[in-house]
Amino acid sequence: MTRLGFLLDSDACIGCHACTVACKSEHDVPLGVNRTWVKYVETGSFPQASRHFSVMRCNHCDDAPCMSICPTNALFRADNGVVDFDDDNCIGCKGCMNACPYDALYINPATNTAHKCNFCNHRIEQNLEPSCVVVCPVHAIKVADLDDPLDPATSIIAREAVAVRSPEQGTNPKVFYKGAHQASLDPLRTAIAADGMIWADTTPAHPTVPPGSHGVVARTTYTTGHPMTWKAKVSGYLVTKAIAAGVMLVAALLVLLGHSNEQAAVGVVPPMVAGAFLALTGVLLVADLKQPKRFHYLITRGSWESWLVKGAYILAGFAALMAAWWVAGLADMHRTIEVLALPTALLAAATAGYTAFLFGQCEGRDLWQTPLLLPTLLAQTVTAGGATYSIIDLFMEIPSADAVHWAFLGGTLATLALIWIEATSKATPHVEAAMHQMMHGDHARRFSFGVVGLMAGGGAAIMALLSDDPAPGPAAVGGLIALLALWAYEDAFVRAGQSVPLS
Amino acid sequence: MPDLQPYPPHEDWHDVTSLNAQAWPDRVEEHHSLVPTTCFNCEAACGLLAHVNHETGEIDKIEGNPLHPASRGRNCAKGPATLNQVDDTERILHPLRRVGERGSGRWERVTWEDALTDIGGRIATALDEGRRDGVMYHVGRPGEDGYADRVLKSWGVDGHNSHTNICSSNARIGYQSWMGHDRPSSDFANAEVIFLISAHLEAGHYFNPHAQRIMEAQGKGATVICVDPRLSNTGSKADHWLPAWPGTEPFLLLTIARLLIERGDWQQDFVRRWVNWETYLAETRPDLPLAFESLETALLDAYAEYTPEAAEEICGVSGDQLREIAEIIGAHPTKFASHNWRAAGAGNLGGWQTARCLFFLNVLTGSVATVGGTSGNGWNKFKPAQPKGAPALHEWNELSWPKEYPLAYHEMSILLPHFLNEGRGTLDVYFSRVYNPIWTNPDGFSWMEALTDEAKVKCHVALTPTWSETAWFADYVLPMGVGTERHDVASFETHNGRWIGFRQPVMRRYAEIRGEELGPDTRTHEFNKGEVWEENEFWIDLSWRIDPDGARGIRRWFESDERPGTPITVDEYYGTMFSQSVPGLPEAAAAVGKTPLEYMRDVGSFAVPGDMVTPYERIVGGADVADCDKGEDGVFRRPGTIATWDGTRAGLAGIALADLGEGSPAVEVDGEIKEGFPTPSKKLELFSTTLKDWGWPEYAAPTWIKSHVHHQDLDLAGDERILLPTFRIPTLIHTRSANSKWLNEISHRHPLWIHPSDAEALDIEESGLVRITTRIGHFVIQAWRTEGIRPGIVAASHHMGRWRIEEDQARSWGAGKATIDRTADGKWKLTRDHGIRRYDSDDPDTDRIWWNDTGVHQNLTFSVQPDPISGMQCWHQRVRVGPAEAGDQYGDVVVDTAKSREAYLEWMAKTRPAPGPGGLRRPLWYARPLKPAAPMYHVDN
Repeated sequence: MTRLGFLLDSDACIGCHACTVACKSEHDVPLGVNRTWVKYVETGSFPQASRHFSVMRCNHCDDAPCMSICPTNALFRADNGVVDFDDDNCIGCKGCMNACPYDALYINPATNTAHKCNFCNHRIEQNLEPSCVVVCPVHAIKVADLDDPLDPATSIIAREAVAVRSPEQGTNPKVFYKGAHQASLDPLRTAIAADGMIWADTTPAHPTVPPGSHGVVARTTYTTGHPMTWKAKVSGYLVTKAIAAGVMLVAALLVLLGHSNEQAAVGVVPPMVAGAFLALTGVLLVADLKQPKRFHYLITRGSWESWLVKGAYILAGFAALMAAWWVAGLADMHRTIEVLALPTALLAAATAGYTAFLFGQCEGRDLWQTPLLLPTLLAQTVTAGGATYSIIDLFMEIPSADAVHWAFLGGTLATLALIWIEATSKATPHVEAAMHQMMHGDHARRFSFGVVGLMAGGGAAIMALLSDDPAPGPAAVGGLIALLALWAYEDAFVRAGQSVPLS
Repeated sequence: MPDLQPYPPHEDWHDVTSLNAQAWPDRVEEHHSLVPTTCFNCEAACGLLAHVNHETGEIDKIEGNPLHPASRGRNCAKGPATLNQVDDTERILHPLRRVGERGSGRWERVTWEDALTDIGGRIATALDEGRRDGVMYHVGRPGEDGYADRVLKSWGVDGHNSHTNICSSNARIGYQSWMGHDRPSSDFANAEVIFLISAHLEAGHYFNPHAQRIMEAQGKGATVICVDPRLSNTGSKADHWLPAWPGTEPFLLLTIARLLIERGDWQQDFVRRWVNWETYLAETRPDLPLAFESLETALLDAYAEYTPEAAEEICGVSGDQLREIAEIIGAHPTKFASHNWRAAGAGNLGGWQTARCLFFLNVLTGSVATVGGTSGNGWNKFKPAQPKGAPALHEWNELSWPKEYPLAYHEMSILLPHFLNEGRGTLDVYFSRVYNPIWTNPDGFSWMEALTDEAKVKCHVALTPTWSETAWFADYVLPMGVGTERHDVASFETHNGRWIGFRQPVMRRYAEIRGEELGPDTRTHEFNKGEVWEENEFWIDLSWRIDPDGARGIRRWFESDERPGTPITVDEYYGTMFSQSVPGLPEAAAAVGKTPLEYMRDVGSFAVPGDMVTPYERIVGGADVADCDKGEDGVFRRPGTIATWDGTRAGLAGIALADLGEGSPAVEVDGEIKEGFPTPSKKLELFSTTLKDWGWPEYAAPTWIKSHVHHQDLDLAGDERILLPTFRIPTLIHTRSANSKWLNEISHRHPLWIHPSDAEALDIEESGLVRITTRIGHFVIQAWRTEGIRPGIVAASHHMGRWRIEEDQARSWGAGKATIDRTADGKWKLTRDHGIRRYDSDDPDTDRIWWNDTGVHQNLTFSVQPDPISGMQCWHQRVRVGPAEAGDQYGDVVVDTAKSREAYLEWMAKTRPAPGPGGLRRPLWYARPLKPAAPMYHVDN
């Protein structure tokens, strides 16, 4: 078998960028994005200063997280071990960009699909070396057949000191570096200074840990931009989804408490509200696709390994149960609703929680991979349900308002507790860097609002529970604040997860 | 694994089947013809291979030519980026003539016919009216060595003006004063010690071919030493980075030389045989016996002050490190490859001693033209004889070759505006050819003043593929081809070996491959984009316009031998050259059943056979020197050459000038008659009698000349610093590369490198604006704090700072919008309105420009600072550095050209003008473009 990888010889690399340009030419790569680039880091103090070069690109991992997350098999394993892609299948979900721990993928603005180094497989097919290999003045880029121990490059990988990027991600990368400075390969050991790049505009689009952070031993003086890909639409989707799921969870709770015969407050309005937010969830999801017209590929070309696909089926199943609930509500068939309550609650929990598994597939975003994410999402969903019901309480009579407020309070306290545990736990440097960005860096305001807002929401719930006959107003305001706080926190969480440099 | 190859086999090049990269993983087959040509970006002239798509008839991509002996199929970023230059949406596609005032930016499209007729007529008038000095051709880098010289010679015009004295004059005189050859040819691949006063891993002559071989040698264990006050990429890769104070490099080198001698680590037998030590001893130490044994004493005495301890103080590098380096160098005799071309040489007053002292180490280690040593360009560069060469000129143009600079290498081009201003001459037709003096040269506002004065420059013709600041001030802008659109023959001393490369218009060749019949009237511009011409055909046609009926005696040099009465074709010109002037090529072509021209069109390059290792040792047969007189010094001097000139004005009439040296064929060494070096002594000249005879005896032997920016003379405790404004980066090439989007995307900013301690001392904030005040003005730039620079020095790369006047023209990918004004007190002011912005064009990438910075045009604020000997612009600047002042904006440039003139006069006062010995303007044996007939060298002729 053939299993291709690259040997990148930083001992030889002179940082000339010929590979970058040859690649742009071979693949007609637009301005602003790169399949391969040369990173410069500088170390030491005058006169013992130095500059180190390393070529960054797709690692053609044997366990490629981009392939696992890809919902439509647009990324696939070629027979020669290369991770290749097929434009025709890509829906532009950007999942791969978050799954990849190497910043290897980008959205091609000309095609609105995800591209990356594909080892010039169209050339390999013709027995030609990749264009970067050919152009390199110093033969610093070599093709290795890792299944052939006698291959010259494989022999070097076998016998000399080589390193890979982010081995801890367990992706089994197939790009090996010889002679690279550790800070070149570990983006947490180097930082971009405020003075910017050596000969390019400062790229705020490329994340950095703050200069002077713990562990930083070098300065990045050249790299390329890697803007954040999942932003407000994704954090928004998390909240709309939580509201939809939360409302149905509380409705199911009310059914459990014997209120299935409340036609409006249990039978009709909850599935309507939840349905509206679930529809909004769908709109946000589709709108975030770079190829929104291809959203149906999730079903028609879906890959079961991807939680984007599983999520789509969960959302669809949840929507179907809600519809049935609503029809039963309209028909005042409270026995049917009682039957529907458990499966609906389970699918609501799945709707709330599947994102933990989706984010778990994002190997590039360690913050999102916390085991606390599933309970946090569930707690948020309960919060959202309680909060939304507290608002609904303004407009109609709710049976067992205490139950709603207990749910609101319980969800809020659980969410806050989980955030507190996360914030105070010992974590990997990557997660700590992300947490730092979330709590003290660029996203600190959103995070603080999230925490304070949740506290306020919890406070409103306590007030309502302590009062014998509470007016719905204060709890409703608390609910609104809590929902905004959830969005603020999610937005901080989503962005902070992407704030850690991967290259 | 499949047996992967870098390129399809050569026999398939006319029709290669490939798979479309964009369509993949669908297998969409395409067919390409692979047409070899030569890169036109930097000087190295690497081989390229254009992939022409059979379906679209367009070039899809440009890779390297694997058959090219120097570049070996590999390229730097600028090679593949040639495609951008072909497809640049803002390139000039039609001849333009100005309609408003010069520089007003109003143009009309004209026909080539009209342009050629008008320009040809102006030249004819100038010639007829005796103003031969009124025609000047000012070139950046020639596409083909000597092509324009042939044209000018045939016109009888001494009008060649080059960029050399902003580039390499100092290095040239440093090398030439040793060995006659004015460029080093380093055999890096086989070296054991590589000593670079250069940044050859990212720039320089010749970046890609040299970088390949330097890294190859380092991989095999060679020690790489790099001297540079700034941490270049080369310094980063070097085993030893020596950040010496600018201008102290000769001191550092002489310290190493002294250590070698002191330790006995020098190749005494080589020096005894091949160095003119007798002259050295006689001239410098008449007190010592005239025996080789005295040389060691003489040298140790002469260089007594050059100790490692002194070097620590003067150069700022560790004495112990120098001892260690000297030990390494001494341990690798004959395998010491060194190089200096610009860097310290181009920066400093007396910078020519850098190359001279560096090559001293080659001499001491016996590493001269050895395997792994450094040779002379004359030996490893192969310049084929041109068909149809006119005889030597009987002209001497003092606008380019003024008496003040008898030893200049070469033309004093930086002084042209001042000479015009002083009334030393006027120009009827001034060609700026892929050259941008307003931007590139120091003192650009003085250039602007000269070029806008129609009494001084009556017609300015810009020959250029793309807009430049200088073209903006032209009367005609004539579009010339880029690397895939023109014919040239190139050869450079890239390694131990000789080669020629052929640059050819790709689409023209493609037509031939597709079976189109190209007749004698077929022209390259029929195949290029728009109305883009190639220069060869331009010069041929223009020469016919100057002399339509042959009465001026010019036309005959451009007439076909095969079809008399019609212009010579490029096929005929190169066909003749390749069949008659390139040894081995006709045989190689015949072996594959082709004519030499077909062979070159198909292969693109040719390795000229022949061993060029220690050519000076070659035995010369007695018959070859039978007509010569042998001097006491063993030199065989031939009658009718410089060597036997009687020193009289009349005697010059009978002298034929050699291209290199005096024309003496041999020298006797240890009883054998050897080829020797092209110097007057036929040996390596430790003592240059020429320098002594022409008024500089104190510099006749390798020595250190204190730079105009010497650190000990500066107020470093205050705000005075040294500015290094010249360094290059791997992705750009002067002003030629602004039309490449891929290159500009990578590099478009040149912040001021400043050490954090200096930033602190000078109150400069992170990314803060800095005002740099020079002798004649100031500019405002952004700070970039780095440990990669010596405290006391600030530096900014010279590529950036491009500007345009009009919002919608000449944007390219790297020109900021600027406004030029004159302030109330007569100062020039360039204000940056904004950097590069997105715009709409046929290329969607113009709407994806994500950067803004375009840099600051710093060269405007530099006065001319010509070295009094070489004429080299001494680029380093003595400046005051401080935070920006109230009202300063990024990119501001303010200059007082009255101060420019003061500075010019100050530097002129340092010269020791001609006449030299025998009443000459210039030593007869010195290299010179368009070498006129010997009598013209006399000041009275």
